Amino acid sequence: MMGLFSRRVSVELWRLWSVSGTRNFSIGTFPTGQVCSSRSFSSGRFLRTDASQPDQGDKIDLDLWKSVMRSQTAVDESIEDDKEQVKKGDSTDSPSGCVLAATRELVSMWRQAGKLVPDKITDQDVKTLAELTTKSSKKKYLKFLAIREGHKNKSKEKQEKKRAEKEQRLADFPETLENRPPVKNSFLMQYRDHWLDRLLGWRGAQAMNFGQPLVFDMSYEAHMTPQELTNSVSQMLEVESCNRRSLDPFHLHLCNLQPEGGYRQQLVKRYSEDAWDRLLITETPQRHVDVFPQEQLVYLTADSPNVLRTFDPSKVYVVGAMVDRSIQTGRSFATAKRLQMATARLPLDQFLRWEIGAKTLTLDQMIRILLTIKDTGSWEQALAFVPKRKHDGFYQEKKQSERGGTAARDRGDRYPQRDQRERQGSAREPWGAGRGGQDRGVTGKGVGMAWEREYKQPVTRIRSSQNSTTEERRRTNKTRTPWYQQD
Amino acid sequence: MTYVSIFRNKIAGLKVGHLKMGATFLFQARLCLYGLSHSSGIIHQGKMCARTMCTKGIKPGEQKSPPRKTDTTIRQTESFKVRQMPSFPTSVFAAGNAKRTTEMLKRKTALASLEQEDAAGDQPRRRGFKTDGLVAPDRPLSPTEWKKQLEEAPCSPERFDVHMMTLLFKTGAELDIAKSLLTFVALETGTMSYQLLLQYLTLCVKGGHDAEALDCYQIMRGAFPALETGAASLFIKAFSRTQSWREALPILRDMKKVIAPSTRNYSDIIGGALLHGAAAPAWQLYDEVLGEGLTPLPDTWRALFEGGARGGRAEEEEDEGMPPAEYGERLLGVLGYMRDNQVYPERNLADAIKSWFHSLPGHHWRGEWTTVSPKGVCKGCGSELESIQLTPEEYTHLEARVMADIIQGKDVFQKTTAEELESFKAFVKRKPVFDVVVDGLNVANIVKGRQSEMLLAVVCELERQGLTSLVLGRKHMLRPSASWDRRNMGLIQKKAHCFFTENTSEDDPFLLYATLHSGNHCRFLSRDLMRDHKACLPDALTRRLFFKWQRGHQLVIHGTVAQGRRVGFQMISPYDTIVQSTGVSWHVPYDDSADRSSYEVPQSWLCLTNKP
Repeated sequence: MMGLFSRRVSVELWRLWSVSGTRNFSIGTFPTGQVCSSRSFSSGRFLRTDASQPDQGDKIDLDLWKSVMRSQTAVDESIEDDKEQVKKGDSTDSPSGCVLAATRELVSMWRQAGKLVPDKITDQDVKTLAELTTKSSKKKYLKFLAIREGHKNKSKEKQEKKRAEKEQRLADFPETLENRPPVKNSFLMQYRDHWLDRLLGWRGAQAMNFGQPLVFDMSYEAHMTPQELTNSVSQMLEVESCNRRSLDPFHLHLCNLQPEGGYRQQLVKRYSEDAWDRLLITETPQRHVDVFPQEQLVYLTADSPNVLRTFDPSKVYVVGAMVDRSIQTGRSFATAKRLQMATARLPLDQFLRWEIGAKTLTLDQMIRILLTIKDTGSWEQALAFVPKRKHDGFYQEKKQSERGGTAARDRGDRYPQRDQRERQGSAREPWGAGRGGQDRGVTGKGVGMAWEREYKQPVTRIRSSQNSTTEERRRTNKTRTPWYQQD
Repeated sequence: MTYVSIFRNKIAGLKVGHLKMGATFLFQARLCLYGLSHSSGIIHQGKMCARTMCTKGIKPGEQKSPPRKTDTTIRQTESFKVRQMPSFPTSVFAAGNAKRTTEMLKRKTALASLEQEDAAGDQPRRRGFKTDGLVAPDRPLSPTEWKKQLEEAPCSPERFDVHMMTLLFKTGAELDIAKSLLTFVALETGTMSYQLLLQYLTLCVKGGHDAEALDCYQIMRGAFPALETGAASLFIKAFSRTQSWREALPILRDMKKVIAPSTRNYSDIIGGALLHGAAAPAWQLYDEVLGEGLTPLPDTWRALFEGGARGGRAEEEEDEGMPPAEYGERLLGVLGYMRDNQVYPERNLADAIKSWFHSLPGHHWRGEWTTVSPKGVCKGCGSELESIQLTPEEYTHLEARVMADIIQGKDVFQKTTAEELESFKAFVKRKPVFDVVVDGLNVANIVKGRQSEMLLAVVCELERQGLTSLVLGRKHMLRPSASWDRRNMGLIQKKAHCFFTENTSEDDPFLLYATLHSGNHCRFLSRDLMRDHKACLPDALTRRLFFKWQRGHQLVIHGTVAQGRRVGFQMISPYDTIVQSTGVSWHVPYDDSADRSSYEVPQSWLCLTNKP
């Protein structure tokens, strides 16, 4: 075999030599083993020294590179021939295998062409790649894999470095009895992690017995892409941990969670089977309307016409557990309509100078807002969890503090409330009658509420499902009498 | 005419007293005056009362309700025609309208935009780009000179070759400089990366150095196990321009193993084949493109027509040619494809079509660039163009699809509720057939601040023309407010049939349903181009049908409506803008500007007549 190669190589080199027109060429310096092992057979080192001599003149041989590449090709081909003869046995693949091999080859060529492609690719990924129909989708998928690979390599590198450092440290200071660091002495008792876990567990158990239920509607699996589903599972994890760590947790209900569905599978996978079983939440494949009485349920959705002004501890709020990258306007609102449930949206327009972006919020933002409003009753504190990029601060501080307690006061004596409003006179109200004008530009963008696009009615006209009677009263006081009634 | 003068006095009095109220009243009074001056003969009080007091909601189906037709045959009743503007104003569907409107709006806010542009101009250029700091040489360098460049280069020495080649490509440098770089790299390292060769190849193909590209092909084929899609596309392009265009076919075949070749690749080969007179393989590839479900590029069609004009005969091999008769048949098939898929050729393609018709032996085709009169008559040959009305079968199909896909969709609750939809269906069934369905909110919002007045003006105008109209709105319009005046809304409800949907429902789908359900003569009034609803339709054929129906049935208010001025509507074109033939003539609408949006139709035509 070795003899065969060296003979072939020598033939190629002779050819090369004759093509490039160089004279003093020594065959003896080529190690034949190198040719066998690697494809990038390099002969340029020798050529350079020789070929630079004719370049001394003004004429540069522009096509020299071609001969170099051709000679290399010839050597490669001969090796290829041998390899093919060896490999002939296992080349009878199925057509699907052929496609996979071609795809793999395409990936390797794209890598050579300098595209963003992962260095290693698993068979599963190749299969997914082959199933993608368009070129751009293939490129996008490979880019995603490449970036993910980059992250993995980075973290691996970090770990390696850490381990090496540790080993170095141990080598420098071997841990012997004399060498051990002294035991810390403190008069404070150490607080251990599992004690905290136990405490939070008790809180969770209490919430499951007496706490206010909060429902997550897990029925939107069909409307999400696999990526969106993964994202929403991540958000659900954050929801649970947030709730667990809060002072007064909700009793979380995951309704419509199908036992065989992808949602549950991913959740269990992320938590591990044991942890999922120990979790202090309620999961059920039943619908929320079957678990709770209809009149208690309020669906929180950005498309609702009703504004949630006061948080009612006797209600059961429902949040749709869906991530929609391309905003699916009215999806959860349609569910609520179908089941004839009360709906509400957060008072975002009433408190925040909304600037950009949809009024939809992520699940973890929702749970933070709901936990805070439950604990403090103040929307300013709760809505601090709305992403800052979407708004330009709250409306005037003074008005909010007055608003904070209105619900409580409304229930009692309404006259002081009215006097107060009259004293305020024509000052711009953060919500209510002024809304039609000042918020137009924001809601008109059509991100949130479809029906609002052509809707010019001040929001006060809409009866909130929460405190309709107080609103009714407020409205009659506030609305300007139309001109035809004045006459 | 005493009545009128009394009215005027009254108005004058009001004007002095209550300014704001007066203006509103003046508007209403003027509307009444229109009604009066229009009706011929003696005007008396009784008629006036009858006009304003007539309540359409009370006696359904009793007034002017022609019996509902069970089938949707085309009703060509001239009396129901909506009076349109006498001149031919640009329709919303005319090419370039959207762009003009945008530019006009931009001009309105000219100052603001100027400031923005200044800000954009001051922005620094993209920093940290790979080729920053590199200087492309202006002549081929010797390896020693390149070596010096490499040492001075700010980038890493491993990537120097690729970055330099990118720079050469960007600056459009001569090929010899690139060659000298390659030689340097080959001598320095003994090999070359695929990426470097690929970039060199791009430079060759861009500069039209096809022989060099062929050399490159030999080398790359030998040095690398396969070609990647980018290189394959470039080789196909290069080969197609030369005698050896046949070499491109195996490359295309290899490409198909992993990826669907683009229409550009097919177009290159088809062009190459036709250039060398091989019509049969070109048409085979064209069929392949259609079989893949791709839309051929205009360049492909142009090559086919130009090939046809050259005679379509094979120069080298007889069996690859195609008889002119068959070639002609196929080209007519292309025109048929354009018709079926509502393709409008650009000017240069239209040129090719024209010259092909001219080159047909034994005929005397004469082509002319022309326009079409508003009535649908070709100004070139004087023949009438196809009507825009749908056939009964098409109409039934469209009606069913709109109901199933636009209104109900996957979830009926997404746009409405089940009960509401049922009640609306019952409402439409109960009422007489409508002549015009008005998108209440859309029409009203043309004038901000006095929505109800605008709507009332439109309803009055329609009533004056003797049309049965339906106004669709949302329930919030019924709550009196500054914009939705109670009296105006009351008047509207008297003058027209009204249906108010829930505030949380969409009203456009109802509009489409009511219009389609009322029969082919019924139009709808809205500025909305209904593109989001068109997109709900699943297949391209129905979308095209919808668009055709829309062009023939959508009324749009013309211009701005000043207070008290009469409302005019844009003309609905009576002819269909599509490639069409009568046997002795062809009419091809073509794009003569780049301003056309996808939902607009061109206004210029190529008229081809065969006169012996």
